[in-house]
Amino acid sequence: MMKFIRVDMTTLSSTTTDVPEKYAGLGGRALTSNFVNDEVKASCHPLGRNNKLIIAPGLLSGTSAPNSGRISVGAKSPLTGTIKESNSGGSSSQMLAKMGIKALVIEGMPKGDKFYIIKVAMDGVTIEEAPEKILNGCGNYDAIKILNEKYGDHVGMALAGPAGEYRMPSANISFKDPDGNMRSAGRGGLGAVLGSKKVKGIVIDPTGAGNVPIADPEAFQAASKVFAKALLDHPVAGQGLAAYGTDVLVNILNEAGGLPAHNFTAGRIDHNDNISGETMNATISERGGEGKVSHGCHKGCIIRCSQWYADKQGKYITSGFEYETIWGLGADAGIKSLDAIAYIDRAMDDVGVDSIETAVAVATAMEGGLIPWGDGEAVLKIVKGIAKGEPLSRIIAGGTAIVGKVCGLYRVPVVKDQGIPAYDPRAVKGIGLTYATTTMGADHTAGYCISGNILKVGADLDPLKKDGQIEYARAMQIGTAAVDSTGMCLFVYFGIADNPAGYQALIDMINAQYGISLTSADVDELGKSVLKVELEFNRKAGFTNLDDRLPEFMEYEPIAPHNVVWDFTPEEIDEVMKF
Amino acid sequence: MADRGKQLEIRGFLQLDSFLRKRYGSMPFYYEINEPISGLALSQELGIERKDIEVIFINGFVYELEHMIEPGDRIAFLPPGCPGPYRIALGFYSKNQGNESNFKIQKDEES
Repeated sequence: MMKFIRVDMTTLSSTTTDVPEKYAGLGGRALTSNFVNDEVKASCHPLGRNNKLIIAPGLLSGTSAPNSGRISVGAKSPLTGTIKESNSGGSSSQMLAKMGIKALVIEGMPKGDKFYIIKVAMDGVTIEEAPEKILNGCGNYDAIKILNEKYGDHVGMALAGPAGEYRMPSANISFKDPDGNMRSAGRGGLGAVLGSKKVKGIVIDPTGAGNVPIADPEAFQAASKVFAKALLDHPVAGQGLAAYGTDVLVNILNEAGGLPAHNFTAGRIDHNDNISGETMNATISERGGEGKVSHGCHKGCIIRCSQWYADKQGKYITSGFEYETIWGLGADAGIKSLDAIAYIDRAMDDVGVDSIETAVAVATAMEGGLIPWGDGEAVLKIVKGIAKGEPLSRIIAGGTAIVGKVCGLYRVPVVKDQGIPAYDPRAVKGIGLTYATTTMGADHTAGYCISGNILKVGADLDPLKKDGQIEYARAMQIGTAAVDSTGMCLFVYFGIADNPAGYQALIDMINAQYGISLTSADVDELGKSVLKVELEFNRKAGFTNLDDRLPEFMEYEPIAPHNVVWDFTPEEIDEVMKF
Repeated sequence: MADRGKQLEIRGFLQLDSFLRKRYGSMPFYYEINEPISGLALSQELGIERKDIEVIFINGFVYELEHMIEPGDRIAFLPPGCPGPYRIALGFYSKNQGNESNFKIQKDEES
């Protein structure tokens, strides 16, 4: 029987029970969102004592299934005020699953200013005062080293960086990866929730953990093999992501005219060659040293879209150098040096802020005159200043919506106060509908997965036209909600979108692990059920259809080169979540 | 779009970036045509293998390989490898319906 752990930070105590029956068949986002909807007072202040943070591995985490090491974190978001699920790679998901831990809940908050470390081990949970030297501005890179020395290199970690200690709305939760670097549950400010509960970090010691039980090991292995083949056979894994990372999208979106630039006033840039995935690949290859073109963010990752980006001397700067970060700083904020962007990316990881929210906030601040356009050095200084709580740094870490207000701007690219990522809704309309309607605030990963009927819909899809986009956005969000519950990296869908056998193998692995008989229709129903509980929470928190709107400027400011505006009517947008 | 007369402004992405950069010296590079030419015929003139193209962009719009290119157009060749959801959202999938040069799942040994 798996365990359900609750840590009460008010009393600095914990309880471990069997998993409540309602949650037994759930994992990842399905579990975190159901729990938040059940137990978190929707009207609560996200940084107050009534918010709860839940961390849960996915249904397949801890098994040998490829790419199944994602971990989900849920709570009410300080950035958006909505329900939030943010997920990450790293080692923690597989460790928790192997330890038989279905979920870890953190609730309440202690009196006083002390920060704590929650240590989860096979023999129980302990709550200890955090070492002084990892507090008050210590970056995540150093904090991981210090905690490794204290608890051993083998432990997993989830950390609130300095931004989390300051309870900034863009604070992320950083999960240690197999190389001692970090991956982030980036969006929505969940690091601030952790910080509000005075939890500096969670240390996971898997010593003594066994294997995840599999009901039908033979069937599991067979399905896992089919699944792995579906991923590896596909050019997206073999030729695209492994070689160029997600940054492969810079050139593609730029060519399509959907790369938001200069705070969403253009859809194409001229310096794309400086920041493209192709250039990143060539730069890493030429520099050698510690640089790696391809790297997995968790054990068992076979897509390996991550990389280690090194400086001119071949020394590691950053890893997991993603398209959305590079787009935000490179195109939207106009920083033309990939090296400058890499140092800012490292600094954002170090202070523990969401790199998308921060990049969009930076570009908005540039329009507002707070930072010169394209000034990478100024941005680096401001991001580092988050660790010291400097005023301008705090404004940026407050997120895009706050920056827009501080600067008196109308062109503020947010939905539900979350910054819009890397795909301009005017030129890629289906993604715009997802931004508008997702329960999470503008989030490109909310509509990533190709479910059964999407290829039929996709047969007629034109990015600049409305036809089929409502059905596309709906199906993608339902599929994503389901996959977010498995612990699978969403990028598996890049590979199995064209391959029904791969999709079926994913379902077969779940069936073999749990001894059940899910069908693809059941998986769709799971996705719908997750979205429904999230919508219910948001409605209880005061959100209505009127919040499902893109920023008004997109309706009257055409974006070049295609000179298109956002033209979906409110009634059309509201169709997306009708299922 | 700048008037480039008979010159095409050409780009290649993913592995075609380094391939075309080496072959033509820059990215983008310029290539003169006197009359309209299909994407497939142009790719052959440029030495691009068919398996290395999923779609082409012409002036920022996605087209199938057989689409006719006019002098002065801005062109980009995109190999298979663009992440799945974007292949649908950007219309790659729809442009390849019923097209003999369609990329579905194609590995070197199968092509």
